[in-house]
Amino acid sequence: MDAVSIGTAVQDTLDVVLRGEIDFTNAAWIGQTVRTAVADRRPASVRVEMAEVAFLDSAGVGVLVEIMKAAEAAGAAFRVEHPSSRVLDQLRTAGLLAAFGLA
Amino acid sequence: MESRRDYLNRLADIDARIEQARVGPDVVLARAAGLLAGRAGCRVDEAHAHLLEMAAEQGRAAQEVAAELLAAAESRTRVGPDRLRAVVEGTFGEAPRADRGLGRPVSGLRPAPADWAAVVQQVLDVTPGRHVVLVPVRRGTGGLAGTGAEGGGVADPEIEGAGTAGADTGNPCVGVGDGGGGATAADSEDVEDSEDVEDYVFVAVSPSVVDMSGRRGAQIVGRRVSEIYPAIVGGVVWEAWRDAIADGTPREVGPISYVSPADHAPVDVSLTVRVHPIGDGLLNSWVRHDEEMRLSERMAYTERLGNLGWGEWDLVTGKIIWSEGLYRIYERDPADGPMPSEESEALTLPEDVPLRLQAVERFGRGEAVDMVYRIRIGGGIKHIRAIADADRDSDGRPVKVYGIIQDVTARETSRVRLTEVERQLREHRRSLAAEHRLTVQLQQIVLPVPDAPVDLPGLRFAVRYMPAEQASRVGGDWYHAAVAGDGSVILAVGDIAGHGLHAAASMARLRHALDALTVTTTSRPAELLSFLNRLLYSGSPAADAMPVTATAAVARYDPSTGELVWAQAGHPAPLRTRGGVTAELNRPRGPLLGAFPDARYTTATTTLRPGDLLLFYTDGLIEQRDRSMEEGLAPVVATLDRISAEGGEHPLADLLAQLHHANPDDDACILVARPLAPPGGGAEQGGDGHG
Repeated sequence: MDAVSIGTAVQDTLDVVLRGEIDFTNAAWIGQTVRTAVADRRPASVRVEMAEVAFLDSAGVGVLVEIMKAAEAAGAAFRVEHPSSRVLDQLRTAGLLAAFGLA
Repeated sequence: MESRRDYLNRLADIDARIEQARVGPDVVLARAAGLLAGRAGCRVDEAHAHLLEMAAEQGRAAQEVAAELLAAAESRTRVGPDRLRAVVEGTFGEAPRADRGLGRPVSGLRPAPADWAAVVQQVLDVTPGRHVVLVPVRRGTGGLAGTGAEGGGVADPEIEGAGTAGADTGNPCVGVGDGGGGATAADSEDVEDSEDVEDYVFVAVSPSVVDMSGRRGAQIVGRRVSEIYPAIVGGVVWEAWRDAIADGTPREVGPISYVSPADHAPVDVSLTVRVHPIGDGLLNSWVRHDEEMRLSERMAYTERLGNLGWGEWDLVTGKIIWSEGLYRIYERDPADGPMPSEESEALTLPEDVPLRLQAVERFGRGEAVDMVYRIRIGGGIKHIRAIADADRDSDGRPVKVYGIIQDVTARETSRVRLTEVERQLREHRRSLAAEHRLTVQLQQIVLPVPDAPVDLPGLRFAVRYMPAEQASRVGGDWYHAAVAGDGSVILAVGDIAGHGLHAAASMARLRHALDALTVTTTSRPAELLSFLNRLLYSGSPAADAMPVTATAAVARYDPSTGELVWAQAGHPAPLRTRGGVTAELNRPRGPLLGAFPDARYTTATTTLRPGDLLLFYTDGLIEQRDRSMEEGLAPVVATLDRISAEGGEHPLADLLAQLHHANPDDDACILVARPLAPPGGGAEQGGDGHG
């Protein structure tokens, strides 16, 4: 399974599903993939499904920020859903819960 | 033609040399043995032994027997040169010369038939190709046209051995030489009268002839055509024979379809037959088209499949032969003929000329050559594998050179490409290693790590930087510990997302900015983070596609009060150990740097007391993929607790020595500090200066 797949936009929501470990090895590629999808589809909102993500390193956190910025630039709402408690801890530390709709 | 004249000249030369050699008895014996061996198809030493045996039986000297044998043989070959010429010209199809009389090339020289048949056989024995000579059998006589049944006996099946005469001097091939003496020019009218020819008989057959029933020369000589090849009787070839006898003119028949007799599986083959009148008979040569086609097609196919070509160079004649494949390899029009050797040698790339010279040298030593070199053809370069060997004379001098040439460009090119890829891989590996070195060096330049604790006003600190083991993961962890413009002490650690040179460069930018800001602008941690956030947010990541975010914790220590004000941007809170108990400082709010354009940072304040230990770290110290952050932090907390409880003289050094790099995949930076003077100006100062 790829670390990222882009779902079909339902009701103007772009579903981004991330899986496994998101780190510096795949962060740049994931960021590029999602940026392109957002630019192409111009969704009203971007939803990142994190249930299957086991681990993020600092580059993984960085790529979530990048997706958030891309959504903002496209005028789309942004939220992250179902992070594991471990990931939730990381996002809390990074100060991103509110911006990611997790607060 | 030139080559034919040369060939005849060579024959004459050989003859002359033989004449010159006709001297001592030993030579006579040797010659006789050679002649015998040639006729009998045996080895010379066997023929020699046989001669000696014969002489012993007859109670005569071996040389005498030999001389007799030669005399008998030569009595028929004395007129040899002319007859050889006739046969050779007949074989090669030269038009009759004017001085010989049109259409009657050899009539005036026609020898006695039996003698003649033996000579023709001798010639066929040494002439390349497949030929048969037959003579007509006249109706009513039951014998041979032009010879008289009583005279020659050439048609007699008993003399099948005409071409393989034994040593027995009673053998017809030696003994009957003059039997047909009457059949000379006087019979010329008979020859023209072809209507009464009822059959033909084979009088000479090339040694290489194998008919479709598997019969070889000796099994064919003396047999009638109607007997062994009934299908020919009355057919087009038969008619061609009749006509050739009638007008004495060579002709060609075919391609014709010939079905062999059914004693073996019938085979339908396509033939072209060439018929030349010679003497009283007809020289027949033929080409089996299917065979030739099959062979040449197969050869061409093989050449194409293997990118092969072959060539021959006859050193004696200077003639060069190229196969179709060779023309293809050299991209040369077959109509232009083979390339002269000096021209083809000139195509060799200068770098490969020494290779060729080595090969020539090996060739000179009598070795076969197998080499790969490059030639330049039509603007491109081809890799050529050449295998060459030679026919050599008894002195080892090459007489004919054979070469097989293979275009191995594709193979060589892929080999070269593979080598190139390997080289690039090696280079890439080297450049990765170089990047690692460079990153580490950059880190050391931008971030010099003191190897012993350092004292700042009211505070002693120590730093340890643990780079990631893998080159590509050496990243952007940094620390800062310095006195700000207002005399306070700034302590900070940070972590740039990502790794490698790019992260290291971002780290350098961030750290230098912090340094400058603390000296010139502010020492307030929240303001500092706010500035850094803006710096990072505005920096375009486009150049590298890696998202640029960073985390940091920044503290301001007031040495006069012991007050520690700190802020963080997405970074773990520092740990404070007091009296053997470690706790995270309460964490003020603040998102990581570079995420939001106007991020706000708040501060928290605490006070350090003598004996307290303060630890800033990046997550490489605790981050492990299979553990929660609390679990990762536990051993660090335990170490701090223990060292604090022990109350040793060098807690900072002990801490650095005992804290382990939890995640070798990531780099880690730790900064430990402790106050040197109690707040409020206590007496304890500095200690031993070693932490």
